[in-house]
Amino acid sequence: MPDKADTPIPSALQGWKVHAGLWLRLAIAIGLASGGLLILQAWLLARTVDAVVFKQAVLQQVMPWLWGLLALFLVRAALAWASEQAAFQAAVQVKLALRELLYRHVQKLGPAWLSGERSGDIVNTLSDGVEALEAYYARYLPAMSLMALVPLAILVFVFSHDWLAGVVMVVTAPLIPLFMILIGKGAEQRNQRQWRQLAWMSAHFLDVIQGLTTLRLFNASRREAQVIARISDDYRRGTMSVLRIAFLSSFVLEFFSTVSIAMVAVLIGFRLYWGEMDFMHGLFVLLLAPEFYLPLRNMGTQYHARMEAIGASERIVEILDTPVAEASGKVTSVAELRQTDIRFEAVSFRYPDGRQAVQDIDLVIRPGETLALVGASGAGKTTLINLLMGFLQPQGGRIRVGDTPLQDIVPEVWRRQLAWLPQRPQLFPGTITDNIRLGMPRAGREAIHQAAALAQAGDFIEALPQGWNTRVGEAGQGLSGGQMQRLVLARAFLRDAPLVILDEPTANLDLDSETRVHAAFHSLAAGRTVILIAHRLRTVREANRIVVLDNGRMVQTGTHAELLQSSPLYRRMVSAYGGAP
Amino acid sequence: MNDLLHLLRLFRPYLGWLLLGILLSFITLLANVALMAFSGWFISAMAIAGAAGASMNYFTPAALIRAAAIVRTAGRYAERLVTHEATFRLLAELRVWFYRRLEPLAPAGLEAYRSGDLLSRIRADIDTLDNVYLRLLVPAAVALLAILVFTGVLWRVHPRLALVEGILLLVAGVAVPWLVNRLGHRAGRRKVEVSAHMRAALVSDMQGMGELLVYGAAESHADRLQTLSRELAQQQRTLSHLNGLSQGALGLCANLAMWALVVLAVPMVSSHLLAPQHLAMLALFALASFEAVTPLPLAIQTLGESLAAARRIFSLADSLPAVTEPAEPLAMPERFAYRFQNVSFHYHPDSPEVLHDISLQLAPGRKLAVVGATGCGKSTLASLLLRFREPTGGNILLNERPLQLYSGETLREHIAALTQQTHLFNTTIRDNLLLARPDADRLAMEQACETVLIHDFIVSQPDGYDTVTGETGVRLSGGQARRVAIARALLKNAPLLILDEPTEGVDPETARQLMVNILARMEARRQGLLLITHQLQGLERMDEILVMAEGRVVESGCHQELMDARGHYWRLYMTK
Repeated sequence: MPDKADTPIPSALQGWKVHAGLWLRLAIAIGLASGGLLILQAWLLARTVDAVVFKQAVLQQVMPWLWGLLALFLVRAALAWASEQAAFQAAVQVKLALRELLYRHVQKLGPAWLSGERSGDIVNTLSDGVEALEAYYARYLPAMSLMALVPLAILVFVFSHDWLAGVVMVVTAPLIPLFMILIGKGAEQRNQRQWRQLAWMSAHFLDVIQGLTTLRLFNASRREAQVIARISDDYRRGTMSVLRIAFLSSFVLEFFSTVSIAMVAVLIGFRLYWGEMDFMHGLFVLLLAPEFYLPLRNMGTQYHARMEAIGASERIVEILDTPVAEASGKVTSVAELRQTDIRFEAVSFRYPDGRQAVQDIDLVIRPGETLALVGASGAGKTTLINLLMGFLQPQGGRIRVGDTPLQDIVPEVWRRQLAWLPQRPQLFPGTITDNIRLGMPRAGREAIHQAAALAQAGDFIEALPQGWNTRVGEAGQGLSGGQMQRLVLARAFLRDAPLVILDEPTANLDLDSETRVHAAFHSLAAGRTVILIAHRLRTVREANRIVVLDNGRMVQTGTHAELLQSSPLYRRMVSAYGGAP
Repeated sequence: MNDLLHLLRLFRPYLGWLLLGILLSFITLLANVALMAFSGWFISAMAIAGAAGASMNYFTPAALIRAAAIVRTAGRYAERLVTHEATFRLLAELRVWFYRRLEPLAPAGLEAYRSGDLLSRIRADIDTLDNVYLRLLVPAAVALLAILVFTGVLWRVHPRLALVEGILLLVAGVAVPWLVNRLGHRAGRRKVEVSAHMRAALVSDMQGMGELLVYGAAESHADRLQTLSRELAQQQRTLSHLNGLSQGALGLCANLAMWALVVLAVPMVSSHLLAPQHLAMLALFALASFEAVTPLPLAIQTLGESLAAARRIFSLADSLPAVTEPAEPLAMPERFAYRFQNVSFHYHPDSPEVLHDISLQLAPGRKLAVVGATGCGKSTLASLLLRFREPTGGNILLNERPLQLYSGETLREHIAALTQQTHLFNTTIRDNLLLARPDADRLAMEQACETVLIHDFIVSQPDGYDTVTGETGVRLSGGQARRVAIARALLKNAPLLILDEPTEGVDPETARQLMVNILARMEARRQGLLLITHQLQGLERMDEILVMAEGRVVESGCHQELMDARGHYWRLYMTK
């Protein structure tokens, strides 16, 4: 079936073919060579049988032919294997290239973009989504080329031996794709809908299992069994009505190919009977007939691979087409932040969907100060720090570091000045040491130990059975919340950056952890500029300056005492924290 | 083997479908072999008759060839319809069966499976089992039948032919795939491991992208992903290599069978033991007969996967619920006074106690708060009260009768609970709310939502209460989702409400107002409240506060008493 040229997905799939290099062509060439040998094989076999049946040849006389056949079998088996390897290599190269491309693009899109996406979905696209393309490159594309070439080669030989059988093949072969297109047109859409429904049903089942406790809480779990039965049953009915049509297309395909073979056999039989051709040619054509239709018959299976690849690449294309907001600055030096102001000058940012996140922010961050951002959720605190870290670009105004606009600085260079402690810090698969020296693989053991000591993390790390080599994984299994906090504080100490950005965690720690984290944070703040999103009254009170944000605007700045005097909004917030001033 | 039997037993109601599928599949196969073999015989016979100038009855064989072609085509269509219909019926059955087995296990028995990954694993396992019929049972049965019939037919010509054909069929269909499967076992396992590593790396990279970029580790993590990606490709290459061997062997065996049959038959033709027209027939028969074993390599691979999936599913489905229901449960009383009497709890006999010697009273309409740091055991209290778990020491009493005498379902009918893992389903907000009380009217629903300050948000959405939440719908923020879940619990109107960290993810200002509203509503309706929290704000209106640390109650009293005592509570209060 022809690709619809106007749809972007199949053309993207075609475009990615370049990554396969010559392997794809090699796979097709090998397939073609094997097809050629197949014809030779049929000829040898026909020759042998003909000799035995009509020329009364004995085994010794035909044995040379038979040895030739045996050699052909072995060569063709080897070719089949080689073509599979070549096709695999083609697919692997596409997969590797595409995964790398996607991953780097997601990195460029950055955490601000990621926070609006389901991370599970992106992970799926990068792992399973890319894998799902394998069948397209390893099977569908080679099969499609062979489908055009091998039957053509066979046809040439058939025509030179028996024009009538050739006519039968020429007439029936185009009917197969034609009917498949006629039937398949609507079926493709229905098929896709069905795929989505299957995914939906599977997701529903997972949803129900995940919510099983909730269902039990409301005594609704028995009701749900009936719902599952009903959904599965609806799915069966829906799918079968689609499949009946889908199977009809393969019925047509099968019908034409099988009945044509029967026709060729019967026609040859009669022409042999009437003495219009000799047996060898008849048998030769009969042997070739099933091979002529085989690639056409395989088309159905291959088409499935194409559909699956299209489904998977939809999301890949979507991600790759998302424009990157990262600044492309050229300046490779930054003023010493321990002596330089950072200025927000009338900075505004609006989300792609039109929501205003922050508006007209004018703010000077002075070296060495601890600045707290407070405000309700959605007030713009996160946007501000995302702008500062260069994960978002302001649409209005600018941020200046000393005299240099932030967007002119190479992002990597700028970020070298920062340490970042997010609300939910991430540990990466690897050892504790690896996690502390994130981004500084050459950091020495002494430096790491010292950073950990400053973060009050050294004691608990050494108390672990595997010590510094303890492996931590997703969500820091086996570490308590307080330990994780101290680990990422150690990361920040090792980094020794002049500007620390912190989104204070809301999770509650036990008293001891709380005290230690607090103390460690204090020593980190000393001599550095700190910008923090505060969630605790105590932290807010200790800040040099507090910026109150409301609906994306800066409402007021001042110290705790000043704001209590002057800002009713701040007073309300403080009382919500439950604190007496 | 046990798992296989267990699995087959599940399929028993579908025995009829199974046999029908096998029969149709077999007929289709036979028709194809017949078509090829007849054709070979037909053209030889016609050529011999033509050369000799003899006449022959060509109507019957020509008709047979056409009939075989039609049976083949129609049979394939019928076979597909039947086997797919059966597969979908089985799929429904399997899911419902599994759900019914799983339901009594929640939540205690599923705790180890809480992470999304393990649940996806369960889903993948069920999906694997769906394929057992189509990919394993039918092809295996058909291949077995075919091998018997084909060798039987050849035996009548000459036992030696049958032997060669039988051996090669078994080599191509069973021995080689089995060997390949064994050889690929390590690579297969390694592939799964590497995939899992890659996923884990991707998950943490996506969630920690900000840190990677700020700390300058983006490049090294991109390299690491590429390394993992290559490692995965390496394992896949090994498997593809083996798969290529298996495919190549299949084709080679078919050709060898044809070759051997010809080599054996030629002297028989020369010595007139075999009619000459049978030579072409034998050759074509041998080639076509290998269609019977073509699906076997996949079936053998499926067998291993299915058994592993079945083992995991059965071990979960056959595990015992943490709580046994009473044979003759007590009827529910009119009054709901709960009392914990020296209750202790541990998850395993050798693991430390999570709760130690807890005594407390929950009289009707009273408001009790339990506070303490994460992991102090306070959430386990709710789990015990809901009878999701049994205490390992002491007693919980309802109106002075042990809780074990009531059925869990009756107990939960009279408690509305918001647990920490409360789940919002992938459906409309309305349906999520109605889960608590299917007959609730609009007014009651809106009142509950107004209490938790989420009504305005809901009606501001284009679809209002019909907004779909969850993975496929509008994503609510953590705080919004939490509030919808509280509204759901309130809507139930039970005499006792349990709220476990209700304001998690809600901003402080909203949280404060929310608690005021909830308490007002509870007081007006004289409902009891068990509030489990680490937030010490707004506890002034609670009748009693228990402070827990490391599984024990370390302090109790009302807010003022505890503040005056200047103990644990006071210290916690002052650090916030």
